[in-house]
Amino acid sequence: MPDKIKVLYIDDELNNLVGFKASFRFSYHVYTAINTTEAVEILSAQQDIRIIFCDQRMPDKTGVEFFEEIRSHFPHPIRILLTAYADIEAVISAINRGHIFRYVKKPWVEADIISAIEEGNKFFMANSMLAVKNDELQKAYNELDKFAYSVSHDIRGPLSGILGAIRVVRHLDDIKDIKEMLYLMENSVKKLDTFILSVHDYYNLQRGELQIKEIDINYLFKDLEDLFRVSITANQISFITKVNQHAAFRCDEMTLKLILNNLIANAVKYQRLNCDQKMVELTANVERTSATFIIKDNGIGIEEKHITEIFNLFYRATSQESGSGFGLYNVKDALLKLNGDIKVSSVVDEGTIFTVTIPSK
Amino acid sequence: MAEIKTNFIVIDDSELDCFIAEKMIRHTGKCGTVISFNTAAEALEYVKNREVDDDEDCRTVLILDVLMPLMSGFAFVEEFEKLPHSIQDRYFIVALTSSMNRNDMDKIKSYRSVRLLLDKPITSEAISAFIAADKL
Repeated sequence: MPDKIKVLYIDDELNNLVGFKASFRFSYHVYTAINTTEAVEILSAQQDIRIIFCDQRMPDKTGVEFFEEIRSHFPHPIRILLTAYADIEAVISAINRGHIFRYVKKPWVEADIISAIEEGNKFFMANSMLAVKNDELQKAYNELDKFAYSVSHDIRGPLSGILGAIRVVRHLDDIKDIKEMLYLMENSVKKLDTFILSVHDYYNLQRGELQIKEIDINYLFKDLEDLFRVSITANQISFITKVNQHAAFRCDEMTLKLILNNLIANAVKYQRLNCDQKMVELTANVERTSATFIIKDNGIGIEEKHITEIFNLFYRATSQESGSGFGLYNVKDALLKLNGDIKVSSVVDEGTIFTVTIPSK
Repeated sequence: MAEIKTNFIVIDDSELDCFIAEKMIRHTGKCGTVISFNTAAEALEYVKNREVDDDEDCRTVLILDVLMPLMSGFAFVEEFEKLPHSIQDRYFIVALTSSMNRNDMDKIKSYRSVRLLLDKPITSEAISAFIAADKL
């Protein structure tokens, strides 16, 4: 059963309060207040009150005044005025100024109150949906801004590099120089390709549905090792995997892969170039309710001052190697989808440890 | 009198872009030395500590990429403008960007020491043009 709608009723006549409560306490969660001070106390304590009924004629202030007062502090509840008089002018002006949602004539009949609550509730729900959608929209706009901003740098950058290189090559005669330019152009093309793949990952994450299934960690690790075999061998990195699995692990494979893929790619990429014992270690500890993945390297590390920023979109903490500033942002986003968590500890010139915890579904 | 050669410093995090700039500069046939830096911090150190011959009256053109990780072109210019005027006067900063972002472009142009903003990729023609125009 869904929770009852919380309703607050303010009236200086105790009999009215008692009557109201008696009539509606089965259908709704009814709070009552004998004066506005008490009403504010209840509103402060019960943040999720949806509908407020208030009598217009009270000794300390009118209902309209009360609603005007609380509006900035408690903007969400739906405000409904109860009035025994034909103060129709005051009511109309209050409605027009947006202080109240509607009014119910006193003495009230049950049907009017119920209809007011139901209508008010619908309005409340629509408003909160709108607020949620607005937040999402704002987030999407912000990301679009960042994206549009990066397009010029991350897409146009490598392209202008290639264009420049083509013009340079026109002036070259020595095949060795030309080959060197080709090598540099290849890097630019790769950079662009990586960026486009990350954009693809990003949109898959935003739009994709999770497909939960049992994950064979040993198989997954083998897969990842194969994926990185070329760069591991080329850079003479020893790649160590450890699996301690005590229970089945259920998760979305694509999203999990995206996370591990990015973290391993970083571990492989940000090695100390002159180190002769380069190492990347991948560990999985699977318990009954969750799995922990530890990605450890002995690479260049991350400076303390950059640690809090590395998960931000397009943030880059180093100019070593090419990077889009997309990877860790995608990792964080993916973990948000899986209700997971990531911790990082790092020492410059010693290495970095990323610890990822993901609950089993 | 022999033609005065202009010296160049290129600052760009992209190795390829440095390379292109170097080639294009050399191609003008009007340059003296060309030095490249992949990070703005290294370039700043160099500019700070460079021993300059007092007789040398030709300025050095500093080609500066605007968007770089760690120390951006903006940060570089801000630090540069804190240096003694005797040092600043020796350089002619040309900002270089692939960004089409209006704010970035306006911001970098607003610095006193940034004399020119060019779009990437840089060309020999563009370099020759500003050397000729400013009579460095």
